[in-house]
Amino acid sequence: MAEHTHAPAATSPAHAVHAVHDEHDHRPHGWRRWVYATNHKDIGTMYLVFAGLMFLIGGSFAMVIRAELFEPGMQLVDPQFFNSMTTMHALFMIFGAVMPAWTGLANWLIPMQIGAPDMALPRLNNLSFWILPFAFTLLFSTLFVPGGAPAGGWTLYAPLMVQTGDAFPMTIFAIHMMGASSILGAINVIVTIMNMRAKGMGLLRMPLFVWTWFITAFLLIAAMPVLAGAVTMLLTDHYFGTTFFTATGGGDPIMFQHIFWFFGHPEVYILILPAFGVVSEIIPTFSRKPLFGYETMVYATASIGFLSFIVWAHHMFVTGIPLAGQLFFMLSTMLIAVPTGVKVFNWTATMYKGSLSFEPPMLFALGFLFMFTIGGFSGLMLALVPADYEYHGTYFVVAHFHYVLVPGAIFAIIGAVYYWLPKWSGKMYDMRLATWHFWLSTVFVNVLFFPQHFLGLAGMPRRIPDYAVQFTDWNMVSSIGGFAFGLSQLLFPYIVLKCLRSGEPATGRVWESAHGLEWELPSPAPYHSWGEPPSEALIARGAAH
Amino acid sequence: MLFTTSSGVEGADPVDAAPQCIEIAPNCSLSVKGALWFFAGTCFGSFSVAGMMAVLGYWPVFPFAGLEMVLLAWALKVSLARRLHRQTITIYDRDVLVESCKGSECVRVVFPRHWAQVKLRRPASRLYPSRLVIESHGRQCEVGDFLTEEERRGLAARLNRLIGRINESPTLA
Repeated sequence: MAEHTHAPAATSPAHAVHAVHDEHDHRPHGWRRWVYATNHKDIGTMYLVFAGLMFLIGGSFAMVIRAELFEPGMQLVDPQFFNSMTTMHALFMIFGAVMPAWTGLANWLIPMQIGAPDMALPRLNNLSFWILPFAFTLLFSTLFVPGGAPAGGWTLYAPLMVQTGDAFPMTIFAIHMMGASSILGAINVIVTIMNMRAKGMGLLRMPLFVWTWFITAFLLIAAMPVLAGAVTMLLTDHYFGTTFFTATGGGDPIMFQHIFWFFGHPEVYILILPAFGVVSEIIPTFSRKPLFGYETMVYATASIGFLSFIVWAHHMFVTGIPLAGQLFFMLSTMLIAVPTGVKVFNWTATMYKGSLSFEPPMLFALGFLFMFTIGGFSGLMLALVPADYEYHGTYFVVAHFHYVLVPGAIFAIIGAVYYWLPKWSGKMYDMRLATWHFWLSTVFVNVLFFPQHFLGLAGMPRRIPDYAVQFTDWNMVSSIGGFAFGLSQLLFPYIVLKCLRSGEPATGRVWESAHGLEWELPSPAPYHSWGEPPSEALIARGAAH
Repeated sequence: MLFTTSSGVEGADPVDAAPQCIEIAPNCSLSVKGALWFFAGTCFGSFSVAGMMAVLGYWPVFPFAGLEMVLLAWALKVSLARRLHRQTITIYDRDVLVESCKGSECVRVVFPRHWAQVKLRRPASRLYPSRLVIESHGRQCEVGDFLTEEERRGLAARLNRLIGRINESPTLA
C-alpha cells in the first residue's frame, strides 16, 4: 500500500499524465468529435482536409481555364464564365486551399513545438474553422445564380466588380467570413505563442515554423481589416449610394487598387512566410546539420513582414503614379530581395558539407528552394518600373506568381505533410510513391508555368479566353503541363490514405536528425501533447539550431 | 500547467510522514506588463493603418480594425486570467487543505481526510468540461478547473490514491 501511494509523488508529472493517456483516452467519437472539436490536432486535421478539398475544386477550375486556352478561339465556355473561372480559381486557392492548409499545420504543430497542451482558445479555434465551410459553400453557390459567379478577378477591382450580378453580395459576405476566420485563427496563434510557451521556451528558442507563423499572424491582423473595409465600401457603393470608388460622385476607383493592394501584398507573404518556416525545419534534418544563421532567419522574416507593407504600389505602376512614388516602390520592392537572399543563402549554407539524403520532404524543400527562387527573380524583374510597363497584365505576371505560390507555398505544404505525417499518424507512407509524386509534380509544374514566361514576354495578355494564333504552341504545352500536374496531384491523397490504412509503424523521432519538441513525443502524437510542460533540458535538446 | 509536488521521505514512519503537497497553476509565458506592451504595439500598428485610411476618407476600415483589437484584447484577457489562478492541495495525515488563490484573494478549505472524497463529475454535455471536486460533510471544493480534461483525470487519479475512498486513509509515507 505504501509503495502504491508513494508512486505518484515520485513519478514525474509528465510520466503520470502520459500513463493516464494510455489508460483512458476519452476522446469524443463520431460526428461530435469533429463538430464540437476543441482539440488542436482534430481542428488541424479538419483544416488540412478542407484545404485539400478546396485544392481539388480550385484545381478543377484551373483545368477549365487551361482546356479553353489549349487552342485559340472559343471552344468550351463563354468569356463571362471563363472570367468567373479565373476569379473563383484564385479565391478558392488563396483563401480556401493555401491559407487553411497553413492554419491546419499551425494547429497541429505550434502547440507541440512550444510545449503547450493545446491552443490558447480552443473554442475560438473551432469557430474559426467552422466558418470556412459556410463561406465557401456560399461562394461556390454563386456559380448557379443569375449573372453567374464573380468575374472581376480576385482583386475585385471597382468599378468592374460592382457590375457583378446577384453573386455580388454573396461574394462580399463570403469574403467577410473568410476574413473573420483568418483573424480568429491569427489571434489564437498569437495568444498561444505569447502565453502558452513552456518554461524555458524563449522567443529565440522557438522553431522557425512557429516564428514565421507568429509574423504571419501579425500580417493577418494588420491586413485583414483593410480588406474587410474595402469590400464593405464596394457593397455600400452598390447598394447604399455611397461613392467611395465612383468617380461621378467624387470617389476614386484608383484608391480601391491602393487599398486592395495594401492588403493584397502582405497577403502574398501570409501565403509564403510559413513555407519559409517549413523549409527551415526540413533542410537541417536531411542535411544532418543545424540551421545556418537561425537568428538571421528570424530577423529576415520580420524584415520581409515589415517591407511587405510598403511595396503595394508596385502592382499599380501603370496607373500613373508620380515618378517619386514609382522610385520609392521600385526600390522598396527590390529591397525585399535582401532578406529573401539571406534566407536562400542560409538554406544553401545549411546544406553545404552536410550529409544530405533525399527523402520526399527534402525533395519538396529543394524543389521549393529552386523554383521559389525563379519566382523571386521574375518578381525582381517586375519590380523595375520600365520593365513592368511591358510585363504588366501579361502572362509573365501569371508565371511569376504561380512560381511563387505553386512550387513555393504548395510544395512547402506537401513537403510539410510528408515530413510530419508519420508523427501525426504513427505510420510511414510509401516513400517510392511520394518520390514519384515529387518528380511528376516538378516536371509538370515547369511544363505548366515556364512557357507562360515566354507568352508574357511575347505580349499575351492575362485573363482572356481567346488569343492570337502566334501564342498557340506554348499555350498547348502549358495546358498539357496543367492537366498532367493536376493528375499527378491525385497521387497525394492516395499516398496519405494508403499510409493511414496500411503504413508501417513509425518511430518516435521518425527522421534520425529531426530536432524539436514534437519529435520528443511518441508517434502518433498523443491526443493531448504536453499535459505537463516539457523539461528545460528537453527544450534545450530540441532547440539545437 | 505547473504541477509542483513535495512528498515525505521514503522510509519515514507513517505516523510522522510529511504532508503531500500538490500545487497546480496554469502555465503562462506572458506577463501582464508584457501583454500590455504587446497590445499597445499591435493597436498602434493597426490603428495607424486604419487612421490613415480614415483620413483619406475611407473610414469603413476603422470599425473593422477596432473590432479586431477588441477581440485581441478579449483573447489576451481570457488567456492572461489563467495566470492569477493557483491552487495548493496539501494532504496531511488527518486533513486535506485546499487553498485556492486568484490574485491576492485566497480561500482555504479544510476537509477531514478520513471522510473526504474525490469525485470527477462528468459534464451534462461534451461542450462543457468535467469538474473535479473534493467533498465531505455537504461541503465541496472544485480543484483544477483550468486544467485540460486529461490533466484533470490525471489529478483525480492521483488525489484518489493519496486521499483514498471514504473511511479509508492511505498512509502518506
